[in-house]
Amino acid sequence: MTTKRKKTVILLAFVFPALLFYAVFVLAPAFGGAWYSLTNWNGLNRTYRMVGLANYIEALTADPFFLKSVGFTLKYVVFMVVLQNAIALLLAVLVESRRRSKVWFRTIFFMPNMISLIIGGFMWLFIFTKVLPYIAEHTVFSFLDKSWIGDPAYSFFAIVIVSLWGGVGYLMVIYIASLQGVPQHLKEAAAMDGANAFKTFRYVTLPMIYPALTIGIFLTLNGSFKAFDAVYSLTGGGPGRSTQVIALNIFEEAFKSSNRYGYANAKAMILFLVVFLITLIQLWLMKRREVES
Amino acid sequence: MKRIGSFMILMILIAAAIFTLFPIYMGLLNSFKTEGAMMNNILSLPTHLEVGNYIGAFHKTNFVRSLGNTVYIASVGLLGIIICASMAGYKLSRTPGKLSAFIFLLFVMSTLIPFHSIMITLTKISKALSVQGSTTGLGLIYIGTGVAFAIFLYHGFVKSIPRDLDEAAVIDGCGEFRLYVVIIFPLLLPITATIAILNLLWIWNDFLLPLLMLTNYKTYTLLLSTNMLFGQYGNNDWSAILSALILAMLPVVLFYLLLQKYIMKGIADGAIKG
Repeated sequence: MTTKRKKTVILLAFVFPALLFYAVFVLAPAFGGAWYSLTNWNGLNRTYRMVGLANYIEALTADPFFLKSVGFTLKYVVFMVVLQNAIALLLAVLVESRRRSKVWFRTIFFMPNMISLIIGGFMWLFIFTKVLPYIAEHTVFSFLDKSWIGDPAYSFFAIVIVSLWGGVGYLMVIYIASLQGVPQHLKEAAAMDGANAFKTFRYVTLPMIYPALTIGIFLTLNGSFKAFDAVYSLTGGGPGRSTQVIALNIFEEAFKSSNRYGYANAKAMILFLVVFLITLIQLWLMKRREVES
Repeated sequence: MKRIGSFMILMILIAAAIFTLFPIYMGLLNSFKTEGAMMNNILSLPTHLEVGNYIGAFHKTNFVRSLGNTVYIASVGLLGIIICASMAGYKLSRTPGKLSAFIFLLFVMSTLIPFHSIMITLTKISKALSVQGSTTGLGLIYIGTGVAFAIFLYHGFVKSIPRDLDEAAVIDGCGEFRLYVVIIFPLLLPITATIAILNLLWIWNDFLLPLLMLTNYKTYTLLLSTNMLFGQYGNNDWSAILSALILAMLPVVLFYLLLQKYIMKGIADGAIKG
């Protein structure tokens, strides 16, 4: 055996176990899903036929609930990307500025991240349906008396609040690590030149932590398109499907309501394409700026 | 001026900390009250500690069995991910050429595939392979879905290990596999710790995959048992439910308080190298 061939054999031997699991549980479902999305299979019968892009066209033009869930998810994504990164960065900067109490604050802010949003969501459901109405009734904070879960206008914010509660800590830890990498002498030099705290942050710190921002925005973008747990435990998509995110719509199409297996897969592929394109564009745009700055 | 600014910062942080802890505190407080006492005053401290809620929740969620299932599934997944990914990541990083570049790309690609896009067909395939319904099967699925990101991290880390080590070992007559087990794997320990933490958090808190895969309540994870309990009561019997929620978050919170330094380091490392 030549050395080159031997090397290939050894490579394949080392990669094989990983590739096997990956092929069976990720690649096969991905390609299988793409194939079935072009068929009218109901998931049970032996026979089905190709219908081309008909499922895609139906999902994007004739399925009001799916379109609604896309709109709702997009709104949610915008709120989450902006708020989650802004709050996480702010907390990171503030926590880092404390000398003695920073370990305490960091520990507290990260804690919700350890708790599944299924559990956290149920906990918050208790706050929204029982505690806040009680506080509104018995204290001066009567403005809290909202139908947080029953009214679509407020349940959107309930979902955002819970998602922020659960997600901000993770990004904060990433931003703290990034802030600690900014050389102290640069900030001191800026202060010597008469820059105030805000200007130092804007012109010294921010460019230095730009790579972390790329990651932070990528993570929130990628994560909030897939939001499921918080919505599932808080509102279940209701009232009247008004808070149904894409993931929940796909879940119900595939496992609850219809026997339209091919159609459910087409929706799943649309989700994939949207997440893929948007995260790719984001990475491309931000990486380009990273190099410049 | 500086002192006022510092005081303002402290106030903002305290307000944020109160907001963060509020739901946990409220849940804890009311989990020790009877339904009547809770309705009477939801904000007050309990007059006596009503532990009946906890005993009930402990039995109804089959706490010990559910916890055991969760630990077992996470162990299978974690062990498999670490073994498979460290082997693949190491060799892919060490072998230049088109084939290894292609395989690496194949793995990396998956970080952009949302789980929801593959879950429908994944359930079909799991059913066909009789993997669905068993805790071991679910562990195997976690290996498949988690291995790519771990390979990515190992691949980057291996570059920091000098190649001279491999060559010296081979000259001494060390076989390929022994080289990996005896020399390389111990050197991978720092990144293995990061990978173990990230994957444990993910598997432990994952809800959708167990929901789709586990069909028998005897195989339920902690999250599934808690969710099922919620389904039974609707949201009417909060005093029974809150104690179950507190019980379900207890293991992770303890784990966190014990190992928080390593957890935060793992997350920062994972993000910077990822």
